[in-house]
Amino acid sequence: MPKKPSDRIELLQGTLDMLILRTLLFGPAHGHQIAKHIQRTTDDLLQVEHGSLYPALHRLERKGWLSAKWEVAGKDLKREFKYYRLTAAGKRQLTAEESKWKRMAGAIARVMWPAEEG
Amino acid sequence: MFWRKRKAREQDLERELRSDLELEAEEQRENGANAEESQYTARRAFGNASLIKEDVREVWGWLTFEQLIQDVRYAFRILRKSPGFTVTAVLSLALGIGANTAIFTVVNAVLLRPLPFPQPDRLVQLWETKPSKSYFRNVVNPFNFLDWRERTHSFEGMAAVTGLNTNLTGLGDPVALQGMQVSPNFFSVLGISPALGRSFLPDEGRPGHEHVAVLSFALWQSRFGGDPAVVGRKIIVDGEPSTVIGVMPRGFRLPKYTPDIWTPLPIVRSKDWESGRFLQVIARLKPGVTLEQARQDLRRVAWQNAIERPDFDKGWSAEAIPMLSDATENVRLPLLVLLGAVGLVLLIACANVANLLLMRAAGRLREIAIRAALGAGRRRLLQQMLSESLLLAFLACAAGLAFAYVGVKALIAMIPAQTQFPRLDTIHIDGWVLLFALALSIASALIFGLAPSFQVSQVAPHETLQIGAIRTAAKSVLRQALVVVEIAVSLILLFGAGLMLRSFHRLISVDPGFETRHILTMGMFTSPAKYSDDHKRADYFTRLLENIRAVPGAKAAGSVHFLPLEGAMSGSCFTRAEEGPPVPSTSPSADFLVVSPGYFEAIGTPLVSGRFFDTRDHFGKRSVIMVNQQFVKRFLTGRNPIGQDLNVCWTVKNPAEIVGVVADARQTELQTAPKPTIFVNNLQAPMYFAQLVVRTTGDPVRMTRAIEGAIHRVDPDQPLTHIETMDQVFSDSVAQPRLQLVLLLVFSGIAALLAIVGVYGVVAYSVAQRTREIGIRVALGAQQTDVGRMVLREGAILAVAGSVIGAAGALAAARVMRTLLFETAPADPLTLGIVVVAVIAIALLATLIPARRAAQVDPMTALRYE
Repeated sequence: MPKKPSDRIELLQGTLDMLILRTLLFGPAHGHQIAKHIQRTTDDLLQVEHGSLYPALHRLERKGWLSAKWEVAGKDLKREFKYYRLTAAGKRQLTAEESKWKRMAGAIARVMWPAEEG
Repeated sequence: MFWRKRKAREQDLERELRSDLELEAEEQRENGANAEESQYTARRAFGNASLIKEDVREVWGWLTFEQLIQDVRYAFRILRKSPGFTVTAVLSLALGIGANTAIFTVVNAVLLRPLPFPQPDRLVQLWETKPSKSYFRNVVNPFNFLDWRERTHSFEGMAAVTGLNTNLTGLGDPVALQGMQVSPNFFSVLGISPALGRSFLPDEGRPGHEHVAVLSFALWQSRFGGDPAVVGRKIIVDGEPSTVIGVMPRGFRLPKYTPDIWTPLPIVRSKDWESGRFLQVIARLKPGVTLEQARQDLRRVAWQNAIERPDFDKGWSAEAIPMLSDATENVRLPLLVLLGAVGLVLLIACANVANLLLMRAAGRLREIAIRAALGAGRRRLLQQMLSESLLLAFLACAAGLAFAYVGVKALIAMIPAQTQFPRLDTIHIDGWVLLFALALSIASALIFGLAPSFQVSQVAPHETLQIGAIRTAAKSVLRQALVVVEIAVSLILLFGAGLMLRSFHRLISVDPGFETRHILTMGMFTSPAKYSDDHKRADYFTRLLENIRAVPGAKAAGSVHFLPLEGAMSGSCFTRAEEGPPVPSTSPSADFLVVSPGYFEAIGTPLVSGRFFDTRDHFGKRSVIMVNQQFVKRFLTGRNPIGQDLNVCWTVKNPAEIVGVVADARQTELQTAPKPTIFVNNLQAPMYFAQLVVRTTGDPVRMTRAIEGAIHRVDPDQPLTHIETMDQVFSDSVAQPRLQLVLLLVFSGIAALLAIVGVYGVVAYSVAQRTREIGIRVALGAQQTDVGRMVLREGAILAVAGSVIGAAGALAAARVMRTLLFETAPADPLTLGIVVVAVIAIALLATLIPARRAAQVDPMTALRYE
């Protein structure tokens, strides 16, 4: 199994699902793109392992939050990729996850960095 | 449909992963890597592809079933590849599971399965008790029974039962049947109706109306050919014409009795029923009444009786015991001890298999590491190991059930039909037993599969594969601990068996006070219709005995109302003549037997002083009695017993003169020391039933016909039952302890064998592991004897540690057996010493072969090894 450098952040349980949904908000993408996108937008801070990515994609598809379709793409338009796209249910789920996430992040922040009393 | 869909999905996933992998590689190339390098880096970035697939499949939810089949198939392959291991493991487990299943079959049928009556847990057995004399389950007086029935409020119904030998005549050969006289409501208390006809009416419990009979299914089949027209037919029961009114359903019986025929018991408040205690009483609790409430209710009435009839009931109380536990009381502890013993055997078997698996797992670490590296998840590997364990257990379960089937057959064959082993006929393997065996197998698999699985889950593939050599020091401690447990547990079992052996030897070495060789015995019941007159009956017995004595080869003949060692005895109160007439509740009491002239000569109990009963002691003459030495010691110290007059409560014309004293003999059972006993002359106070005892010159069995002929010349309608030699009676009387002994010996033998295999396995394995080290030692100058001693020391440490733990456990466990042992202390030091020495010797013996192998290690070969 690939080693994990210590400065990378391990994803919290359930966070990957949210990040995938969030990534797909910009439009359909295949697995490789999703992984790269998450990595790039976080300046390689979050490394998405393929070992977690594919099970997560299939899980989300099973739940009906994503739909998948093989589409022709690439530079020469000769290769097919399995594109995932957000379903309506997926969008609703994302909203729910986001608000949940914000609340949790806020709560954690209050614990970790309590606001100074004025 | 399912398979096609799933295949499409598999291809889809494969394609998805491949396309993404290509993309990854392309990116690497764009970053300047060459073709080969980019492929390699992409793969590394991607991680373990088969593991990803596995995880995705798990998301799909097909995995478990699919994996199960895969695992089982793989497990089969693995087990087939090492037949030696498989056979050893399956056989060890099968012995353990088989022994457990066999004993559980008996426990289930005898102790657990509810009685075959509606709401069986509401049925109780009622007894009289006399705590001051330690009588806790005494048969009941008829008047007390009537009082209980009329005055208690806790019982829906209460019925009295008395066993009775019954003669059925007029249908070809006379037959003696196991009869039962019962209150008319007996069947309704139990809640069972006849299969044919009707049961008794309340009226039929009145004297003079009792000439009706209900037949058992078996009797109906065997004697009446299952003819439905039997209802209404007249038969001759004990010389009295009776009408058959019903047939009970197949298998109807009380837990301890299998009667052939039921007749009404006409109890009324008349002189005939006033004294004596001889009834068994069963009752059914009213709905909502607890056992404790019923007991209190019953005790209240018994207490009232004691006040109203102090002469008879003072000091007596009553007790209600649930019918099932009442019937199985005598066998519960022995059965539970055996169940515990086989549990220990299985424990040893599990330890053994765990050990084998550990050793094998150590050998398979490389394989496992490779599988882990190729993408087998940790959980998956565990699952795999566990399915191997389960497969082993299921194979063992199947073999164990076969062992159990044979074992149960053998076990039942060892219980003589004559003994009152409760519910013997219902012992068979049923669904519960199968379930038990299955549960036991799964539990065993978890126990023995745990250690190796844990070990596997610790495998770090890169280390294992890189280093190549496997460090297993920690695991070998685990293995040694398992062997120590095996030795300890088998010592406990061997100690138990040793105690039983010592106890049994003491038991059969007891001098019973009579002889058993060359003696034929048979039971008879004289027809009340023909011989209701005492004088006539006495005369009948005299003629019978004379005829038997005239048979060539018959040396002596007599009768007794209960044969020795069959568990039965009667008691009677008495006073010395000068003390006035006896009072049942306050006068001293002694055992008594009704014997005929010739009995002591036939059974071989010697005369101590005075004379035996003889021809002088006719019916109607002055009553004569004999007593035993215990009686003299207890009640007549300092007097010459001969010529003393006693008033005996039993129906003898009082006073009766003691004419002789005989040596003490054991009566109810071999375990019980002789008690003060009065012998009443059967020719002066004849009983209806008698056990004939005939001493012969040759083989008693070969004289059976001649003796039967002699009896039938006096009365051709006289049926005879239980024709047995006294040797057989003796052997049957110790059948239960013998069975316990044999089973414990077998089980501890198996345990010892398994422990030997365990010790041998561990030491041999450790020698194999240390071949290199031993080689170095020898190369450096160690002698063969040094090496051998080193290995033996390893075995000795295991043996001593196991023995010390085992000895402590054995002393604790043996306390449970206290009541099963005869004149043997549960902490018997000699037995413990022998067993400890034997166990250590056995363990050392098991290390001898590996020690020799170690001593013969050739350093050159050893160092080239690996």
